[in-house]
Amino acid sequence: MNKPSDKVTNLQLAFIIISTMLGVSMLGLTHFTVRGAGNAAPFASLVGIFIAFIGLMGYVLIGRRFTKDTLVGYNESILGKPIGRLCSFLIVIVFLALTGLETRQFAEAVQGSILPNTPMHISIIAMILLFATTSFQRVDTFASIHFFYVPLILIPIIIVVAPAFRDIEIYHMTPILGNDPTWGGFMNGALAVTQAIGNFVVIAMVIPFMKYPKKSWKGAVGGFWIAGFIVIFMTTMTVAVFGENEIKKMYWPLLNLGRMITIPGEVLSRIDAVLLVSWVYGVFTTLLSYYFLVVRGVCGIFRFHHYRVVSLITAPIIYGIAIFPRDIYTLYDYIRMFSSYGVVPLLVYPFFLLCISIIRKKKGGSV
Amino acid sequence: MLDTSQETRLTTSLDENVQTVKKVFKNDADFSTRSFHLFNNIPATSLFISSLVDKEKINRDIIQPLQEKRSSNNEESANSTKKDLLQSLLNDYLYFADGEKKQDLSSLLDGLLHGKTVILLDGESQYLLLDTLKTEKRSIEQPETERVVRGPRDGFIEQMESNISLLRYRLPVPEFRVEPFEVGEKTKTKVSVCYLDNVVSDALLEEVIKRIQDISIDRILDAGYIEQFIQDNPRSPFPQVQNTERPDKAVGNILEGRVIILVDGSPFALIVPAVFNQFYQTSEDYAGRTIIMSIIRVIRFLSLIFSLTFSSLYITIVSFHPEMIPAQFVVAASSGRAGVPFPVVVEVLLMEVAMEILREATIRMPQQVGGALSIVGVLVIGEAAVSAGFVSPITVVIIALSTIGSFATPSYNAAIAFRLLKFPLIILSGFIGLLGLAVGLMFIINHMISLRSFGVPYLSPVSPWNKQGFKDSLIRAPLRWLTERPAELQPKDKVRVESGVESGPTNPFKRKGENDE
Repeated sequence: MNKPSDKVTNLQLAFIIISTMLGVSMLGLTHFTVRGAGNAAPFASLVGIFIAFIGLMGYVLIGRRFTKDTLVGYNESILGKPIGRLCSFLIVIVFLALTGLETRQFAEAVQGSILPNTPMHISIIAMILLFATTSFQRVDTFASIHFFYVPLILIPIIIVVAPAFRDIEIYHMTPILGNDPTWGGFMNGALAVTQAIGNFVVIAMVIPFMKYPKKSWKGAVGGFWIAGFIVIFMTTMTVAVFGENEIKKMYWPLLNLGRMITIPGEVLSRIDAVLLVSWVYGVFTTLLSYYFLVVRGVCGIFRFHHYRVVSLITAPIIYGIAIFPRDIYTLYDYIRMFSSYGVVPLLVYPFFLLCISIIRKKKGGSV
Repeated sequence: MLDTSQETRLTTSLDENVQTVKKVFKNDADFSTRSFHLFNNIPATSLFISSLVDKEKINRDIIQPLQEKRSSNNEESANSTKKDLLQSLLNDYLYFADGEKKQDLSSLLDGLLHGKTVILLDGESQYLLLDTLKTEKRSIEQPETERVVRGPRDGFIEQMESNISLLRYRLPVPEFRVEPFEVGEKTKTKVSVCYLDNVVSDALLEEVIKRIQDISIDRILDAGYIEQFIQDNPRSPFPQVQNTERPDKAVGNILEGRVIILVDGSPFALIVPAVFNQFYQTSEDYAGRTIIMSIIRVIRFLSLIFSLTFSSLYITIVSFHPEMIPAQFVVAASSGRAGVPFPVVVEVLLMEVAMEILREATIRMPQQVGGALSIVGVLVIGEAAVSAGFVSPITVVIIALSTIGSFATPSYNAAIAFRLLKFPLIILSGFIGLLGLAVGLMFIINHMISLRSFGVPYLSPVSPWNKQGFKDSLIRAPLRWLTERPAELQPKDKVRVESGVESGPTNPFKRKGENDE
């Protein structure tokens, strides 16, 4: 069935990027940015987003060159079968690990905020069940799911964060480069943002299923900057309200911001729960993207196209990874390790592929 | 017996032929034969099943003209073309719209069982089949299940012929096709596939016909049987085929590029493909004013969401997030619950189950008792439960709201799907609160997004997004803006409203060349 309606549109690609980028890290991201860059967190976020943007352009460019191949496909045709498969395998491993770790991070956040007395395993299992039963669907269903959740993620964030304008203190934000800026600290903060939003790599699995793969940059750039704006907006608001020192003490600054907000009319006295629900949606779409990449990647490497089987077999592995870290501190160590040695190189990777493909004069289309 | 007769041809002997047929029917009470002499001359027998035929019609239109003694020249001409005696009977003597000449036994039996009268002649191995079917039918009434304030009052009935005539009456164009099928090995139910040739997508039509032809079952007693066999996902709680009793709704859907399936013996027409949007829309929406009807649609949608989530949201807030309750209300909420012995989940579950029992009982009760029962149910049980301390008054209000919400949905099968899905949500949110509610909802949403009806995504035009389609979904834009037929159905002819209408009516009182100022 090659009906036009089965193809992913640019709008859907943009929404996939938005909902993938806004995920688990939403609640805690500001904490890490501020720990590195201090008051300069908003500016550092902007720099981090720019670094990620370069990677995005890499994937769009290579997607233009190989319009019919996924990441796994062009890995093989550019690097040759053995090395290509090895690279694809490493990428899958990185995302497999990230899926497990971020599921755990989600469970930790849930336990710390809404369900203090419930065992963490329940939220881990619930989340794994959710994305494992969805990730074997067709690509257009995957795109539709992302599309549907984006308004449910964005609208509550804006509703919760926007009223915080009343509580802004300008002195929290100045000087714009922070007090005593150090190059290392600033870049640490910026890279924290890059690591958190670098997960848009999943579009490499979606671009070949688009209606016009050559024009994918429209959706990709649009979606990226909308999500980027939301990240900067959230960081700026939390920094402006709490200031550097307060944020360093909080693990989930955005949630604390949500607790402060009251909506006019006194319908509900606190609406941080609403923020949490939208965050749960964000987590789900992000993990769905990761897992989608894992399932499709495994199937691509082994030429085994029973997505359902792979998805159900991999789910217990994810569970194993999720319960592996002893506590939240080791968890964050693992996450930082995988995202700095896994995700950041992935942003350079497409340029490397592009260079080799130009040298070897490989061009897309062969499936 | 029947197996051997499949191949059997009739002989030229009248007696033998009559005996063969009599052997098949043995001594069925309603199998009748009537012997007479054709033109006072040739022995003939008419066979029919008296319970299915219009006897008056047989007397007046068959026996009478055939028994009449004809003048000699007619007789001669009849005799001279003896080979074509049957044909000449059809051509010259019988005033029948549906008459056929046949020769095999199986179609004779088939014809008899469909209310046809068979005329056997001595010395002929062929026979005449004349349609004399008369079945009992009720008059055309307003459909009970889909009442409207404004709109036509006629509804489908059990007889397919009448239903087709109701459709033809509204669609007098040659492109309107009614394609016949026969499904059910024993019931031999007639099924018609109706569509507009120049609108419907060929791929869709092919798929519908293929799915109908693939059905192999002994019985089709209602359109619901067909629905079960042609839907995409039989495990889903959501209806993927819409049914309607309203001819205007059926015609509206045909014009959008959908296919209607009529089943003989069922007053419900099936509409395929069906997307979720259709289940909270009514045909009346298009007859009223845009703003009002859009608001009403939103209300219906909200009430559907209410019926799904309201009780579980209540559980979540009361037992997991009491901080969300406004300060002034906390006292009322907690004092009402003071004497209740169960946790909120159990309380809500009890009441919801009681509500479902009441609903089911009200449907099955005889109508005279039903009304009384629902009053007893709502007033007495609710009141008694509160004063006995089983439930808190707020719970009763919440349950009542969520139940009423589901009754605002025009389509019964969609409403009941949502109402029963609320039970897993209640249990989930009773266990893990807000997370359970969010996860449960996500399971439902993900399932709905991946669901398809004849290849059309169930949640279109919302996801996948289609701006033109959205104008007729949660809202109903003015008719002159609905310029295109739904794109997800891929109609051959996309244009619904000519763009000329879009600019609006002109002012007849404005003189030519006059400016607006």
